[in-house]
Amino acid sequence: MIVRISSGIPGLDKLIGGGGGSLAENTVTLIYGPPKVGKSIFSYQFAYEGLVNDEPCLYVSTDYGLKDLERNVANFGWKVEEYVGSENFYLIDAISTISGVEVSSTLNYFPSSVYNPTDIMVKLGVAIRQIKSKSPRFRSVLDSLTTLMAFNDELLVVRVLTIYIMRIKESGGTAIVTYTEGSADSKVENMLKAIVDNIIHLDGENLTVEAMVGSGKLKAHYNITSSGIVVD
Amino acid sequence: MFMKNNSDITNLGDLLGDIEPGKIVLLYGPPKVGKSIFCYQFLYSGLKGGEPCLYIAADYGLRQLEQRMMEFNWFLQPYIQSGEVYIIDILTRLAGVKIGDSNAVKFSSVQNLADLMVKVGVGTRSLFRKSSKFRAVLDSLTMIFAFNPPNLVLRLMKAYKNRVSEANGIGLVVHTTGTVEPQFETSLMELADFKICFDGKSIQVESSAGKKSAQYTITDEGIKCWGIE
Repeated sequence: MIVRISSGIPGLDKLIGGGGGSLAENTVTLIYGPPKVGKSIFSYQFAYEGLVNDEPCLYVSTDYGLKDLERNVANFGWKVEEYVGSENFYLIDAISTISGVEVSSTLNYFPSSVYNPTDIMVKLGVAIRQIKSKSPRFRSVLDSLTTLMAFNDELLVVRVLTIYIMRIKESGGTAIVTYTEGSADSKVENMLKAIVDNIIHLDGENLTVEAMVGSGKLKAHYNITSSGIVVD
Repeated sequence: MFMKNNSDITNLGDLLGDIEPGKIVLLYGPPKVGKSIFCYQFLYSGLKGGEPCLYIAADYGLRQLEQRMMEFNWFLQPYIQSGEVYIIDILTRLAGVKIGDSNAVKFSSVQNLADLMVKVGVGTRSLFRKSSKFRAVLDSLTMIFAFNPPNLVLRLMKAYKNRVSEANGIGLVVHTTGTVEPQFETSLMELADFKICFDGKSIQVESSAGKKSAQYTITDEGIKCWGIE
């Protein structure tokens, strides 16, 4: 009964779903762990997998603007023009404006600000309406919650995340959100874990599926290679 | 609470025994240990046994609730149509979706607890007229705590407890441990007549009748337990 979509991470679909996809469709997965263990790379791979299969992607970026994203992705040798900047790729860029870069919105590029989560949610609504008119299913990434928490009250970020999750799920989307372990109060961290559907922990060596709709706990070793994360 | 006979493959009936009407059951534990699945099972076994149910969907909207129950082959739609389940969905409006109320499904808001209580009142009255006993599920307090001051949530719980016991229902309330300050968790524990703790491996049950425990696992057919002590 559970439809699983491909994560884009070599080895992960086999680990979770026996090969036929891994992340349950229309759910939200929390990717968390210490800094620099591959959470953003996981996000790129998840988004890229959708784009190459013609699925739209709504990317909410609080850490990197469009230029930085393009550069980060190019590092892995993926065809940037088929990825960032394509008409299937919708970007809410919440960081460029605060670094003083002049940006203007287009049909699929929405500048916003990490200082203003309400504005991010408004832009999200606009983007989702456009995506829905194109495709009944899509992917979404929110990378990262940690940056939003650095600029806002932590409980406000939990409320914003709740709205994000409701909007994505009601519209048929499947999302991942990233969070740096230990950066928020433990109560807030527990809330985050409670409101998402699935939880994946990365620690630099092992990937642990702490919770996944329809499957138990799983653990496997992973490497970050020149083509992204690869699960053994 | 659950059928205590050979057809009860889950053994939950043996573990929980009979819970008297008018009581509040607090189900608590860390995230992702099966608390919501227990709620679906409690809801569905009640409906199948002819007990109507009030369900406050506070973790998932109605659509998600139906979808998640279907993963266990528990179909909610016939009971919504017959009015045996009365659902108050306090999340879907957050998605900006415009849907109107129906007889069995009401939309409220996680930010408006007064409106929620009004709808709980209407719901409990309507179920009370249908049946001398009914079930009420609130899954869960997590989002309610995220959107409201904890003291207000405790007042909501007291009002909710009164409503459910006046109408002779059994009220199941879910709380994720570690999401609020310890003193509020203590107050929640004090409000409950019956406590069930899930920790991922075992279930602990605590009531005036004493304590029991069992191991459990989540299967395609819901939660099953064994080794009751």
